[in-house]
Amino acid sequence: MDKVQYLGESLWQGQLAHAFVILGFCSALFAAFSYFKSTQLQRQGIRSSWTTLGRIGFGLHSISILGLILLIFAVMIDQRYEYSYVYEHVSSDLQMKYIFSAFWEGQEGSFMLWMFWHIVLGTIILVKGGKWEAPVLTIIALIEVFISSMILGVHIELGETIIKIGNNPTLLLRDTMDAPIFAKADYLNVIQNGTGLNPLLQNYWMTIHPPTLFLGFASTAIPFCYAVAGLWIKDYKGWLQPGLKWALFSSCIFGTGILMGGAWAYEALTFGGYWAWDPVENMSLVPWLILIAGVHTNLIAKSTGYSIKTTFLFYSLTFILVLYSTFLTRSGVLGDTSVHAFTEMGLEWQLVGFVVFFLVLSLILYFSRSKDIPVKKKEESIASREFWMYIGSLVLMFSGIIISASTSLPVYNSIMEYFDPEHIGRVINDPIPHYNKYQIWIGVFIAFLSGITVYLRYNAFNFSDKIKKISTYLIASLLIAAMLTYVTNMNIQYFSWQYYILAFSAFFGIVANLGNLLFSGIKNIKMAGSALSHFGFSIMIIGVLASGLNERIISKNPFVMQGLIKNKDLARVVQLIKDEPLFAEGYWMTYRGDTVVGNNRIFTVNFKEVDLEGNPLDSFDLYPNVLYSNDFKKVAASNPSTKHYLSRDIFSSIASLPKTQMDVKFMKEMEDTLDYRPYDMFLGDTLFTSKYYGIIKNINFAPSNDEYVKESHDFGLETLIEFKDIKTGRSSKVKAALGLKDNMVFSYPVVADEFGIKVKLNEEAFTNYFTPENKLEYTEVQMKEGETISFQGYDITLRGFNRPPKNPDYKAKENDIAISAIIDAKKNGKQIQLEPVFLIRNMQPNSIKDYDVSTGLHARFDKVDPKSEIFSLRFARDNRAEASLPIQIADGVPRTDLIVLEVKEFPGINFFWLGTVSMMLGFLLALWNRFKS
Amino acid sequence: MIIVAIVIFITAAEDVSAYASFADAKTKSSILKVAGTLSKEKPMDYDPENSPNEFSFFLIDADGATNQVVLSKPKPQDFEMAEQIVVTGQMQDEIFVANDVLTKCPSKYKDEELSLKSEI
Repeated sequence: MDKVQYLGESLWQGQLAHAFVILGFCSALFAAFSYFKSTQLQRQGIRSSWTTLGRIGFGLHSISILGLILLIFAVMIDQRYEYSYVYEHVSSDLQMKYIFSAFWEGQEGSFMLWMFWHIVLGTIILVKGGKWEAPVLTIIALIEVFISSMILGVHIELGETIIKIGNNPTLLLRDTMDAPIFAKADYLNVIQNGTGLNPLLQNYWMTIHPPTLFLGFASTAIPFCYAVAGLWIKDYKGWLQPGLKWALFSSCIFGTGILMGGAWAYEALTFGGYWAWDPVENMSLVPWLILIAGVHTNLIAKSTGYSIKTTFLFYSLTFILVLYSTFLTRSGVLGDTSVHAFTEMGLEWQLVGFVVFFLVLSLILYFSRSKDIPVKKKEESIASREFWMYIGSLVLMFSGIIISASTSLPVYNSIMEYFDPEHIGRVINDPIPHYNKYQIWIGVFIAFLSGITVYLRYNAFNFSDKIKKISTYLIASLLIAAMLTYVTNMNIQYFSWQYYILAFSAFFGIVANLGNLLFSGIKNIKMAGSALSHFGFSIMIIGVLASGLNERIISKNPFVMQGLIKNKDLARVVQLIKDEPLFAEGYWMTYRGDTVVGNNRIFTVNFKEVDLEGNPLDSFDLYPNVLYSNDFKKVAASNPSTKHYLSRDIFSSIASLPKTQMDVKFMKEMEDTLDYRPYDMFLGDTLFTSKYYGIIKNINFAPSNDEYVKESHDFGLETLIEFKDIKTGRSSKVKAALGLKDNMVFSYPVVADEFGIKVKLNEEAFTNYFTPENKLEYTEVQMKEGETISFQGYDITLRGFNRPPKNPDYKAKENDIAISAIIDAKKNGKQIQLEPVFLIRNMQPNSIKDYDVSTGLHARFDKVDPKSEIFSLRFARDNRAEASLPIQIADGVPRTDLIVLEVKEFPGINFFWLGTVSMMLGFLLALWNRFKS
Repeated sequence: MIIVAIVIFITAAEDVSAYASFADAKTKSSILKVAGTLSKEKPMDYDPENSPNEFSFFLIDADGATNQVVLSKPKPQDFEMAEQIVVTGQMQDEIFVANDVLTKCPSKYKDEELSLKSEI
């Protein structure tokens, strides 16, 4: 077959980008090797030019990856759909502000983002690293080798099997897909649009959450690299200082990234909370926990010389867990245990290799250096701060192990199935209580330990001496904590003894750390960071208890609960009919209406909170909305809306809409099942449906039906029908319309929701009311200026002329001779004006008619006799005398003015945010202090 | 430490089980997870106007047994497209009453690929 010469493709960007991919991979390899050589020589005290080569390698790698990223952005902005990555993530309706989101929506994009951050961090170390530059960058470059291999897209044939290394983001659509359309040279004319960004991801969280989280991921590599470098060059203590700084930086950014995910879930998604123990959430939390454990042992090691080995292990574990989490979320192994969508890329084994390589590297290094690492012989004293900090680190590690063990159940299943195909996979029945029941105790331990360590010092030995000093404070704190637990119990229910203990320990943590912050933190700023973080942690626990345990479902309608489910506690949503208030759980809720903005349909729901006597407390509107898919065919996502009080949040989200509003497919299906009955009506006539009657109140030519857009039609026809229910006296007025545009008739039917009636105007109504030009019977008249004649009951006066004509249908051209007649038509005191045009263009006489839709009058201007000043005009009128209005009416139509709403109250949620923000600020403060000193 | 680990392991083991079948669910009174596929022949029913907290459908479990499931939640989006459905709940008089559901949906790209292939 001949190769097709494709038209309209722009290939140079892809070719250059592909060159960058390959160069990026090779230069990373080169940098790693050069820096490795440089480090080995540096250890013998030799300064070599390998360092320069390493820098060149890393520089080339940086340029390649940045160039690659820029090129991909360029083709995305240009919407070059010949590129597969563009086709899959961009569409013509994509707003430019989401171009970043579209970039890292894909796996390849997120790998590039990850590399980007390594490059930024690596460059800082290249400039500032000093003697650590070579060994640290060796490892960073090695990591980059692995990540850039993920986008390499090389296929190696080994006999029968083809090994695929990486997915190339620069591929063309016709290379990735085998479809008959690519046999056409001009296939790009057919593919005018891409798949676009998932509507769920079209919000600002998708712009800020991934880069922050990936900076978090990338930054965990730095303490790891320092730890590895320290052991490698046998400088067992030197790495502790820079390692700690980077670990603090990473803790802050990584933690913020995770929290942004929680905030996103809470604010914008309908997960109904900030944390759901979802595997993806868990696997980003676990490395962070281990990192925090590492920060603590690092502090111990720096202050006392204990636990250097532990710190190495924690930092290694952190980084390896980040890799493991990458494997879990990108290999598809999690399958049906997570709400997050996974796309398999076929990179499972490559990802496993990535994890295993660094795991083995860490282990080899650890065991080969283990005997060499200085270990303090003396046991830590129980009265010392380092002892309790060490215990705290172990608790954090324990927490991480428990979470990752449960989360890894699908991995365990896969491994078992690999060896034993008969193996039946196991799953956690009810994940949230499962995780909570262990993490409660982790919380208790951490809060207590963070409180106790406040009172202890490093390298303290004499416990009995110490205890006198601190016992007063300690007992006071414990008493205040107990009191606070008791007092808050009036507002927050703790339900079980475990939660009482957790609350008590959290309050102890708050009191001890707040005391520390206020009394010594001001004097000794060095301590403030840790106190602030620990205070934050404890406050966060209170926030979790308040909002999680006391979460209350407001959308419970106690009256409607027929059907199969007997358990009323399971009621989570209510249906609201437009303008019909509903009372539940202390709130009057009223669905007021909706508007469509872009892809969003925004509903206005009014809430009136009342007290037990029914007195109003507060009134506010919420705007939950649904997002339609890019083609507007169905509802793709639901976005909540939340009312924030200082003490609580009221959260609302659209749980469902009537079927016909959810999906165009159902709308069509429903339309097909409707049984329309024809009626032929005149103005003022009464019609009867099976249950109700209706009166034709009005027929007009200026439709105001909700869907009718005046500007996009030439003219329209509308009827207003008032439906009435004899029994109740209720009535409802609806407008059904027709519109004409370029000789096409569009119908605008209407539903009277209260009556379940749908009204359609038949297209024939148009021909009844508007007579086509060829059926018009014109009357020709000769008139003089100022003369009045009578035509079909209208007094028609030729009032004057316009030169040039003002009739909007007349478009002036050069050498035109054009004049229009100004004609008044009067009947029963009502007057309209017509302006037909007489025109000589290219020596040919022409006429442009004028038409008035309300009277149905047509006027033409045919001839001018300049000598006699007599003008030939023609008049005709639509034949409306016997015009009937053919309409179709169906009953039993499902309501469309209905929403199904979920409303929840989260008390004390702000404690959670206050706590988490304090924690992050604590890290920042600690980091700042280390830079100052 | 080891003791704590063992205790945790034992208590955690209780939280874990294999996917059950409808036959298992009929003999047990505890909360179970049943995995299966949607029966396309039997009706799916969600009536937001009258019972917004109930969504009824028929699920075919791994053994091929079909049973009615009533979910105490609104109908999830794209439910018809799910490749696999996992329901959590228990049997009540021949009906599996579920309080939670997880659906595994095919990737959006597959859809697009099909639509592209159908274009000539």
